[in-house]
Amino acid sequence: MMNTKMEKYTAGFGLSLVVTSLLNAVILVLKETNGAVMSTMKAVLGHHWTTHGAIVIMTFVVLGFIFSSTKTGANLDSRKMLKYILWAVVISGVIIAGFFLPNLKI
Amino acid sequence: MLIQGQMMLHVGFGVLGILLAVALFVDVLNVSEKNVARIRKLSLAVAMLIVLSYLFGGYWYVVHYGPDREIIKAGQWAWAHNYFMEVKEHVFFLMLMLGMYLPIAVHRNVPLAEEKNRNLVLGITALIILIGLFMEGAGGIIGKGVTMGLMGR
Repeated sequence: MMNTKMEKYTAGFGLSLVVTSLLNAVILVLKETNGAVMSTMKAVLGHHWTTHGAIVIMTFVVLGFIFSSTKTGANLDSRKMLKYILWAVVISGVIIAGFFLPNLKI
Repeated sequence: MLIQGQMMLHVGFGVLGILLAVALFVDVLNVSEKNVARIRKLSLAVAMLIVLSYLFGGYWYVVHYGPDREIIKAGQWAWAHNYFMEVKEHVFFLMLMLGMYLPIAVHRNVPLAEEKNRNLVLGITALIILIGLFMEGAGGIIGKGVTMGLMGR
């Protein structure tokens, strides 16, 4: 089987997507369990969700360019990248859905 | 009316994004020289629609959602906000980043006809479709939560 290396931006932004997906869940847990973090996030852009979004988007873009320029992930191929992205999105989604599960009182 | 219009744009862009993601998925399954140009356009359109849905939905959520939230939380379907809105607003970021990454994977990771590259795009698109469908379902539940609160049930 061919082990074709990925193009640098696909690898860089793919890795950034993996990191930022997990970061998204970490920020959620931090702000929901720590009043000081929540207050700070509300103060920065007026709403915690706005600040959360700004952090996630900026991190995705900045890390994407950094990983692309440093060729981090140069040894990855598309198959491995898909695996990492799937796991990151599933783990992040499970953390988010699981965190609010106690709120699901009918 | 303007408020309802913003909400309709949020939902409309989201639905259109999901539909075009489905079209993209099918096109990528059958990738050839004939449809590569359309695949590229579709990937950009999906990204753009998700970003637009995020902007309209985000603005509405931050500016106008407060009164609805109080109605939902006072009603029998308080979980519509406490669970579904809370999950929806944070899972949306995953779809947003997947949407922004999609055109990069389509335009830069060539040739798309190669199995691994094709599967990467298919996987990302499938995640967008699945998360998008959850968004639509959760949005419906949240809307019903408002109705239940207004009915005093």
